[in-house]
Parts: sequence; structure tokens; C-alpha cells
Amino acid sequence: MNEWLVFLLLFLAPVISSVPIVLAYKSEKWTAKLPPLSVFGIFVSVVMSLYILLVLPEDQQYSYAWIPEFGINFVFMCDYLSRYMGVITAVIAFFIAVYGLDYMKGDYRPSWYWFFYNLFTASMLVVVYSDNLFLLFVGWEGLGAASWGLIGHWFRDDDDITYVGREGRKAGPLVLHWPPSFGGWRAISTIRFGDVPMFLAIAAIWALSPTLNISEIEWGSLFGTIGAAGTIILLLCLLMGLFTKSAQVPFSEWLMTAMTGPTTVSALLHSATMVAAGAFVFIKLTWYIEPWTLHGVHGLEYVYLLVLFVGLLSGLYGALAGSGMLERKVLLAASTMSSIGLMFASAAASFWVGHLAVLVAFWYMAVHAFAKASLFLVSGHLIHATHSRFLCGGLEFGKKMITPFIVTIVATTFLVGIPPLTAYWVKSGMDEVMEHLFHEVGFLPLILLVLTSVVYAGIMAKFLSLNFIKGEKPHHEHTEGGGLMKLGYVLMVSVLFVLIYLIFTSEETAEFVHAGYAPVSFAVGFAVLIAYVVALSKPRISALTKLGTFFNDRMYLPVVNDYIMPKIGFFVSHLVQDYGNRGIDGFFNTKVIPGLFGGISRGIRTIQTGYLTRYINIVLGLVMFILIVVVVGGWWL
Amino acid sequence: MIMLYFLILPLLAACLAPLLKPRAATYLTTLFFMLPFFAILYCIFYGSAEIHLTTFSPPIGEIYLTADFISHAFGLTICIVSAMVALFALPYMRHRFEEMELSVEGEFRKYIFLYDLYAASMLWLVYSGNLILLYIFLEIALITAFLLIYFYGYGNRRWVGQLYLIWSLIAGVLTLAGFLLIGINNDTLALKGITTVGMLAWAFIFVGMVIELPVLGPHVWLPWAHAEAPTPVSALLSPLTVGLAGYVLLRIALIDYSFIVSYRNYILAYALFSSIYAGFSVFKQTDFKRLLAYSTVSQMGYMLVALCLGPFGFIGLVIQYMSHAFGKSILFSSAGGIIAVHHGLRDVRQMGGLHDSIPAISNAAVVGFLNLGGILTVGMLGEFFILRGVIETFGISTGSLSILLAVILMFILSVWYGFYTIRQVFYGKPKDTKRLEISRYLYVPLFIIGITSVLLLLPPLSTALIPGLKSVIWPLMGMGGVVP
Repeated sequence: MNEWLVFLLLFLAPVISSVPIVLAYKSEKWTAKLPPLSVFGIFVSVVMSLYILLVLPEDQQYSYAWIPEFGINFVFMCDYLSRYMGVITAVIAFFIAVYGLDYMKGDYRPSWYWFFYNLFTASMLVVVYSDNLFLLFVGWEGLGAASWGLIGHWFRDDDDITYVGREGRKAGPLVLHWPPSFGGWRAISTIRFGDVPMFLAIAAIWALSPTLNISEIEWGSLFGTIGAAGTIILLLCLLMGLFTKSAQVPFSEWLMTAMTGPTTVSALLHSATMVAAGAFVFIKLTWYIEPWTLHGVHGLEYVYLLVLFVGLLSGLYGALAGSGMLERKVLLAASTMSSIGLMFASAAASFWVGHLAVLVAFWYMAVHAFAKASLFLVSGHLIHATHSRFLCGGLEFGKKMITPFIVTIVATTFLVGIPPLTAYWVKSGMDEVMEHLFHEVGFLPLILLVLTSVVYAGIMAKFLSLNFIKGEKPHHEHTEGGGLMKLGYVLMVSVLFVLIYLIFTSEETAEFVHAGYAPVSFAVGFAVLIAYVVALSKPRISALTKLGTFFNDRMYLPVVNDYIMPKIGFFVSHLVQDYGNRGIDGFFNTKVIPGLFGGISRGIRTIQTGYLTRYINIVLGLVMFILIVVVVGGWWL
Repeated sequence: MIMLYFLILPLLAACLAPLLKPRAATYLTTLFFMLPFFAILYCIFYGSAEIHLTTFSPPIGEIYLTADFISHAFGLTICIVSAMVALFALPYMRHRFEEMELSVEGEFRKYIFLYDLYAASMLWLVYSGNLILLYIFLEIALITAFLLIYFYGYGNRRWVGQLYLIWSLIAGVLTLAGFLLIGINNDTLALKGITTVGMLAWAFIFVGMVIELPVLGPHVWLPWAHAEAPTPVSALLSPLTVGLAGYVLLRIALIDYSFIVSYRNYILAYALFSSIYAGFSVFKQTDFKRLLAYSTVSQMGYMLVALCLGPFGFIGLVIQYMSHAFGKSILFSSAGGIIAVHHGLRDVRQMGGLHDSIPAISNAAVVGFLNLGGILTVGMLGEFFILRGVIETFGISTGSLSILLAVILMFILSVWYGFYTIRQVFYGKPKDTKRLEISRYLYVPLFIIGITSVLLLLPPLSTALIPGLKSVIWPLMGMGGVVP
């Protein structure tokens, strides 16, 4: 098969397959029938991504002309990262799409949902495979636009089950209750805040480097030409895009209110696209920048140090915030933010540790993707079954919902790093990486990582416990049906077993698997296990309610987005509108200039009365005036 | 030479359409603007030669039609937008005439004549190879637009029409003075014959065109004119006409860039301030059309910024014109759609949840704002070239940081006010969930514009257009054709 056809099908199949349902948006009959076609489009992408992984040679670049005169081309790189990430993205999107056939049945605007869902998948695939930074940014913007569409999908804001936060809950001036249309607006406004600086950084690379292809840019000499200050500005601009997309502190708020979207969207958003995109692009860039070879470049170390600590702090913040949360999806969202933070931190540690750290970050992303997607899909099913977005459901309920119960057990235990389950081996690699930083950065990274891991294990166990074991009895139970939903998350969670096989058999992962046998890793794993068991048996501690509320309100970080930013923005708007525009309008159009003309006109008219005496007076006056001028002038001279 | 016949078609439409009934006249207009559109597309791929018309004695010189890629890019935009807005106007103007209690058929003749002449004169403006010819078409466009506002506008339309006329005349006269100075200095007004532009001439043209563009200060006429004009006229006035000032400035800058270089920092600061100022103004508007008008001021700031940024900025300017024209014509038309369907509803405070009753118009508005924000549309390339221009001109260092931040804020604002407005107008709790049956004319043309915008981002159109623009701009800026 021709390679160009592979790429064309990979990216366009999802988009084109969702066009019919868009065109048929008026017909309820057709919109009910057409979603399988959209899912088929994603299936085509799955096949193509598998073809790229299994048939096409590794590290091969494919280039097709776009605007070759300016170095903007369709360049695809099938390297180690993108080959795996492509399959992960496509497979996860496909499983979620299958689940969505059931979950989104009877929705009020299916055309919108399927179009943006497929656009979302296609955009992420573009980000994953593209080597050209401009092409990558096209995919990047596609993610932004599609996430806006999907988060605000239930635009009517008419059902509390689509909201985030508790109704009527207030803290000072903050109303902690957000509708879907607001979630969408906040997502795109935050993302755009980072995207434009990122676009500037790409334009700078475009101006300074002879090529825009990530794998071909001479990063060392590029940084050399702009000096330390230039390097820091360039990379900070770039990182703004990645941090906002990946919801790292302090840009994390949009991710929490993004839970107003359908659960399928949350699942995709959190596992393989969007938030993962930021971390993935950072991993990919680091892979090619090879910062561990660039210790001579001034400024680079500060940037990587910043990423390390932003990542670790986001990790801890997310985990702590999650520990106080009682909403199913928002809890998972906070935990995702935490995981993504760890990916950033680990990839940033590569500056000191080398290639291994990037690999660890990447594999953590893979494991996290499948586990988190499974958990989201389960919570979607639970929301349908209980009609509540808050954690609820006791053992009795768990027995009725045995499949999601088992899936949740598997996904949480495999994700938190309990030995010897999948994530343990990757997390051990991460422990080792952070331990290596001792000489340059000290013990703080390792301490933060261990703290995060322990709290993280706690919140995952809490999710399991409050949904299936010790939660309140749901007010509403609807446990039948949902066959396709179950199929979706069972398939998803089973991939975790494939991953553990891959981790033990692949050559690259061998570098960090041995870390799992180290005593430090084992100690951390044990601590994680304890935290998990404790949280399982005691998911809610009433003595800590105040602290929990503080965490549940996300440590009042919403104040930045909900209070400070809008206050500043509307104050400036008020200034320009009520003083600036009114002033200018008044000056030119309504008051000063028209008044001036009116005055002059009135003045001229008062002179012209029409009586002859008035004109004779004027003429005589003028004559007198001239005479005086002449007399004075003559005397003067 | 074939190109000439295609360019005559829109003028012909102005003569023929008034003879026909409204529907036939509209179709004729659309056809006669789409034919040159395809002819221009053909020229983009296969090239075209300039067309000599006649020669006058100095200082007027040769009158000819240019056929370079800058004209093609502008011409392409004018053709597609005029054709599509003409379709949109069919139900809209009927509705407007009924509302004004005028006879639909009789008034439509008058209206379609003015509309066609207006659009055709803009098309001819961008192909004029002589500054006098250019000025004549500028004035025709101005007068026809004035008459359209005067006859069919809303509110205090006569006052607004005069306001527009006076400001544009000031702009026109200043520009003419500049043109004449150029003519006296060079003994010709043919674009290819002009070698120098004196500082005084530049100053006249710059001030004149900045009023026309407009930027902050002389922008006073624009919110009035855009808000009170009948919507199809707003949908030409804002996307096409005001941006043509950018075209004139670009043409003069390509001949002699010294004025901009001398005052670059002042002009840039003014342009950035103007754009950001107008961007913030958008949030406080309560009239949907006036809101869009302020967004126009903000977007025109982009063009003036781009003008300061050398050859890359120039490419950015051309693409920005296209992108803004597509986006804003869609948006004004969707505002018109709301007016037509919801009985004159223009107050943003009374909107909210409109997506339920008019999903097609709501989605079109999303496409429009994506254009303005440069997301997945041709605007992306525009922003990319402008950003590159910033880096090429000022570099990336602590010294240029303030400029970089201002440009970033300017670009961010468009998306902020865009999506904020979408939420205010179309989303949230709907007052009525019943879907209204609306005429296809009110939304299909908008999606065609949107699709054109996306297609222009992708090969083969961008593959042909962007290097074409480079082939015009680079030699004039004294740069070789070497790939950077």
C-alpha cells in the first residue's frame, strides 16, 4: 500500500465518515442510524495506525509538499514514540466510540457530538505523527476547537447532571457551580492563552532555523544563536502552550470544569488526547532536543528545572485536590492532572538523567491512558445507572454492577503502582529517575513524587470504595443494559495486561524494569499499597471535613479564573467603553465638533438679519477698522 | 486578456440585474461574481499577464489592470464574499423592504444596482494599475455604500449615512492629495512607473487610509455605519471595504517602504494599542452588529501591525484581509439571520440559547469566529506570517519582549471575545427549544464561505497562492528568491 494513502486514510477517515451525520442533522431517523459509520471511520484509523506500527519501518520520515518554499510541509515521522502513541490514541478513541454508541443514544444533538468527536481523534493523530511544527500546530488547534465543542456539548445548561460543583455552593464571591457552556468557554479561553505564545515560539523557530521539522532542527545551534535570554523566552512561550493544554498549575481550572462534557469526551480528553497532547509534545521535543547533551547551552537548565517543579507541584496539587472531591468525574480529572504532572516531571528530569527518563514518562503515559479511560467509562456508566454525578453506591449496588466493579478494581490497582502490577514497573523507573536527581536538585523531587504516589493511591481506592463498597445507597438504580458500554471498558482495561507483557518483553523498557527490583522502589510500592488499603477501608474521614472542603474547592484556585481575570478584563473593558469610546464618540460625533459647527453656524446666522441697516453698519465698521489700521500703521512706520 | 472580460462581468451585472425580478437578479449577480472567482483561481495556478487599457499624458500615465498575486488574493476574496452575500440578501432585503413598507420589486431593482456597482467597484479597485483609476473606484464604492445606508439602513440611517460619507470623504481627499503629489514627483500615476514616494505624499496617504481602515481615534464612524447599515451592506462594508485601505497602504509600501521604516515603532505601538483597545471594547457591546464592528477595528489593527513587519508581515497582511473578510462576512450575515428570523433582535442581552431555534446560523457564527481567531482556517497562515514578521523585525530577546507580549495579547483577544460572544448569544438556557424553519439562503452561502476559507489553508490553493505572493513581494523588497 502507498504510504500517502495510509496517512490520508488515517487522518481523513474519521472526519469524512462523520460528514453524513452532520448533513443529516435535521432528521432524527438518520442521526440515530449514522453513528456506527463515524465509529467505522475511527476503526479505519486504528487499522492504519497498526499498519504503521507493524509494517512501516521505524524512524522513517514521509514528506509531502504543502508550501515547500517556506518549509511548511506534511511531514510525518514514524519514530518510536509516535508509532506507539498513534496506536494508543486510535485504539482508545475506537473503544470509547463503541461505548459512546450506547452512552450517547437519544442525545439532543448527535451530529455535533460525532463530528467533533471524530475531529478530536483526527487532530490528535495529526499531533502524534507530524514532524513539521506547523502541521503539529494545525492538529493542536483542532484539539482546542474540538474540545470546546465537546465540553460545551450540552449547551442548554438545563440539567444539573451536566454541571460541575454543588448547586448553591458559594465561597466568598465565588459561585462553585459551573454549567457546560461555561466549561467550554473556559477551556478555549485558557487554551488560547497558551496557544498564541506557542505559535510565536514556532514562528521564532521558523525564522531562526532552516527547517521546521522537529527531527531535523539543530537545537543546539538554534539555542546558541539566541543566547540564554532568547532560549528562555522561546521555551517559555512554547511551554505556555503545553502547560495550558495539559492543565498544569496554575492553568488547571479548565480541566475541572471540562467535566461538564459527556463522559466519553472526558475519557478521551484525559487519556490519549488533549491533556496528554501537552505531555506528549514535551516528551517528543525532549526526545529530539536531547537536553542531556546540551549542558553547555545557557538557560536550558532553568527551563527544565521549571518544568520539573511545575510537573511535581501539579502532581501533588492534583492528588490532594482529588482527595477532597466527591464528584466522580472531577475526582478523576484531578488525578489525571496529577499523572500528567508526573509525566512532565519525569521527562524534564532527562536533562540530568538522560534518555531513560523520557522513556519512563512515555510508558507511564501509555499505562495511564488505558487505566484512566477505563475508569472514566465506568463512571459514565455509573452516572447513567444512578442518575448522580456524585460518588455513591454500596456493596449491594456493586454486586449488581459486577463488571464495572471488577474493571474498577483492575484499573485502579494497575494504575497506582502496587507491585507487581503494570504501573509499578513504570513508577519504579520514575522513582529511580528522581533518586538520580539527588546531586543536582536534592531529595525534594523524590519526596514530592512519593507523596503524590501515596495520595494518588488513596484517591483511587476512595473512588473504588465509595462507588462499589462503602458509598451511600443511590437514590435511583438502573442496572440493566449497557452492553456496548460494558464492552467498551472491558476491552479498554484488558489492554493493561497487554502492556505488562510489552513492558517485560520490549528492549527499550528493559532499561527501567530492573528498577522494580530495587529496595527503594519496593518500599514506595509498599507504601502505596498501604495507602490503597487504608483508603479502601476508610474512604471518608469525618474529622478532616474542613480540609476536605478546602481540597474539594481546589484550594480556591478558581479565584484566578473566576474572579481575578474577569475582574481585570471587565475593568479594562469598562474603561475603554464607558470613557474611551463614549469620549471619542462625544468629541467627534455628538458633542464637541458638532457643537462647534453649530455654534459657528448660529453665530453667522445672528449677523445676517436681513435688515439693510445691519449691512451698512458692518460695511461702515469695516471702513472704520481699515482707517484705524492705516492710521496706526502709518504712525508706526 | 480573457481576465478583462471576466472582470467586466460584475459591472455588467450592475446594468443587467435591475432589469430582472429579485430572484433572477440575485442569481445573475452570484453567477457574474462567481465566474471571475473561478477565472482568478485559474490565474493563480497558470499565471496571467497585466492588461493595458489606455495611456494618458503625464502625470496620469498608463492606465492598466495589474494581474499579480496580491490583486488575485484580494480579488478572490471580494468575488466569493460578494457572490455569497448577494444570495443571503435575497430573503433578507425582501424582509427589509416589507418592514419599511416599500414595494419589493421596485426597490430591489434600485438596491441590486447599487449593490452590484458597489461590489464591482471594489473588485476593480484591487485590479487598478493606476492610482487615479484606483481612486475613482474607491469613491464609487464609497458613494454606493453611502446610498445603500441612506436608503435602507436602520435607526437614524440618514445621519449615520452622512457620518460615513463625511469621514470617508476626508479619507478620500487626503489620499487623493497624496496620489497627486506622487504624480507630480514621478510624472506618472501608473503603479509600475512610480519610483519614489515623498514623505509628504506618504503622510497624506497614511492618514487618509488610517481613517478609512480605521484605527482608534478616527474609528468613530465605523460602529455607527456597521451597526445601522442594512446587513448585506455591513457584510461587504466591514469585510471588504475597510480592509482595502490596507491594500492601498501595502501597494504604496511595496513601492517605497521608507516612511514605515522611519516611524515603525510609533505606528506599531499605535496599531497594537488600537487593536487591543478595540478588542476590549467588544466585551461591553450590547448591540450584536456594533459588537462585530468593534471586532473589525481590532482586526484592522492586525493589518496595520502587519504593515510594519516587512515582507513576511506583508504576506500576513494579505492573508489577514482574506481571513477577516471570510469571518466577518459570515458573522454579519449570521447577525442578519438573527434579525430576520427573530424579528429585529439585535440586543445581546436578550439573546442566549439561540442555538436551539437556529442551529445552522449558530454554527455558521462559530465558523466565523474561528476565522477571526485563526483556528483551522486560512487565518492561521496569516497569524503565522505576522508572528514571523515580528521575530524577523525585532528578534527574540528581552529587548523585544514587550512587543512580543502585546502581539500575543492582540491575538488572544480575538478568540476570547469570539467565544465569549458565542456563549452569550447562542448557548445557555434557551427561551424556546423549538427549531425554526428558515430559508436556506440565510445559511448555506455562509458555509460556502467557511469551506473556502478552510480550503485556502490546504493544498493546492495555499501551495499556489503563498509562493505567488512571495514572488511579488520579495523582488520589490529587494530580496532574492532564496528560500529562507
